[in-house]
Amino acid sequence: MRDLVFIAFLGAFFAGGFRKPFIFVLVYVYIDIVSPQRLTYYLLNSVPISMIAVGLCVAAWALVDDKRDTRVAPRQLLILLLLLYCWLTTRTADFPVEALDKWGWVWKALAFAAFLPLTLRTRLRIESLLLIMILSASSIIIVGGIKTIASGGGGYGSLNLMVDNNSGLYEGSTISTVAIAIVPLILWFTKHGTIFPPDWKVKGFCYALVFSCLLIPVGTSTRTGLLCIGLVAVLMLRDIKRKVLYLCLLGMLGLIAIPFLPSAFTDRMSTIKTYKADESASTRLAVWKWTWEYAKDHPFGGGFEMYRQNQIRYDTEKIGGTAGNATVQTKLTIDKARAFHSAYFEMLGEQGWPGLILWIAINLIGIVRMEVIRQRYRKAPPDQAWVSPLAGALQAGHIVYLLGAAFIAIAFQPFIYMLIGAQIGLDTYLARKRSEASWRPMKNIRPAMLEPAA
Amino acid sequence: MIDNFALAISHGLMMLAVWLLLRRPDLDREPGPKDRASAKTGQAEDVPGA
Repeated sequence: MRDLVFIAFLGAFFAGGFRKPFIFVLVYVYIDIVSPQRLTYYLLNSVPISMIAVGLCVAAWALVDDKRDTRVAPRQLLILLLLLYCWLTTRTADFPVEALDKWGWVWKALAFAAFLPLTLRTRLRIESLLLIMILSASSIIIVGGIKTIASGGGGYGSLNLMVDNNSGLYEGSTISTVAIAIVPLILWFTKHGTIFPPDWKVKGFCYALVFSCLLIPVGTSTRTGLLCIGLVAVLMLRDIKRKVLYLCLLGMLGLIAIPFLPSAFTDRMSTIKTYKADESASTRLAVWKWTWEYAKDHPFGGGFEMYRQNQIRYDTEKIGGTAGNATVQTKLTIDKARAFHSAYFEMLGEQGWPGLILWIAINLIGIVRMEVIRQRYRKAPPDQAWVSPLAGALQAGHIVYLLGAAFIAIAFQPFIYMLIGAQIGLDTYLARKRSEASWRPMKNIRPAMLEPAA
Repeated sequence: MIDNFALAISHGLMMLAVWLLLRRPDLDREPGPKDRASAKTGQAEDVPGA
């Protein structure tokens, strides 16, 4: 039954693309985030819907879309350069077969991120892209939020997010980071959305979705998510007029929330302080050290999945006894093929210094460009009042991602590349608008030009 | 049950959004100053509602 509903939905979605070709881009975004193939049993699994969608996107753009005054941002070239570099490291990877597997989805994410801004020619397209990204993610976030409340708190690795396959956005730490990163964007829709004009229903849904987003780190008991919530609260302080009131409300909400937090969550969060006794945290530090050493010998990286060769030994410390007579128990743990647990070290190990530098450049330029736009349009006329808050929301989401990425290997998470694509799209859209605004009809200029020079 | 509820809400809203987008001409083209200038001189290429 569910299969049939999904097929009807996708059929209608694709049909929309034949009326307005930009809808194909939205179809691809939806398929990439939700992976409906994984939610159905058999019908959709046999059809390469993702490939069909991307083929239609590119064909529609090439054949139908208006390409006058198309602008390419330097960041799109950097993404293509990173794509090329990843292709090179895949050819010489330490684990050629496994590397090809990861390359299989990474190149799509990078190529789509470079292509996406070319299609974002109007404000409505940027808005619709973000709306579909949020609604797609919401299908996982609403499930997670309700189950967290229903089950009294889920637990690390035990919150069932519809699919058993622990990959993509369905992975606990990844969805916590993404859920918190999109909070500023959801709030933007409560003020500036035009597809769903912000009335009480839209605002109600948005606030409920934000609440659900905040529940995801609780349900999945991910420490990264808690750090991201803290960061997003600080970032939102920038644009709030009544800062003291906001801080008081935040403190009160925090205090009210604590008794409701499940013990699985509070127990795990308390390990942030005692990370030395925690194997998960100790492994990370050991893997990062190993990767750093590896990069000294292999500055150009070992290709995708190179972490499989690591062998690490680390000590976990447990402090026992009383306060006056503390004893430290050290336990030696040996492990191998441990994942990176950090996008920065993932890039350093897999793509070496050139890859890491490119990746950091792509991310940092995005944050700087959004800050430039945020400041430039701060006092814009009412028809452009949406620009500065959107740039701020895209920037805040990106910064939250970069914090989450310090603890999860999500350097190539397609969702984030779509966010970067939206940033570039906004930037090139505004540049086009500015050049249009500086254009004057010739008839107004001609008399001045015809006047003899003094 | 919870899965289906969440899928129904999110997918229903996406369908509604697509339906609304199909009715919006500014999805593909925004009037720029050039259009406004030509509209003033009565040379608009396509007059909305015509």
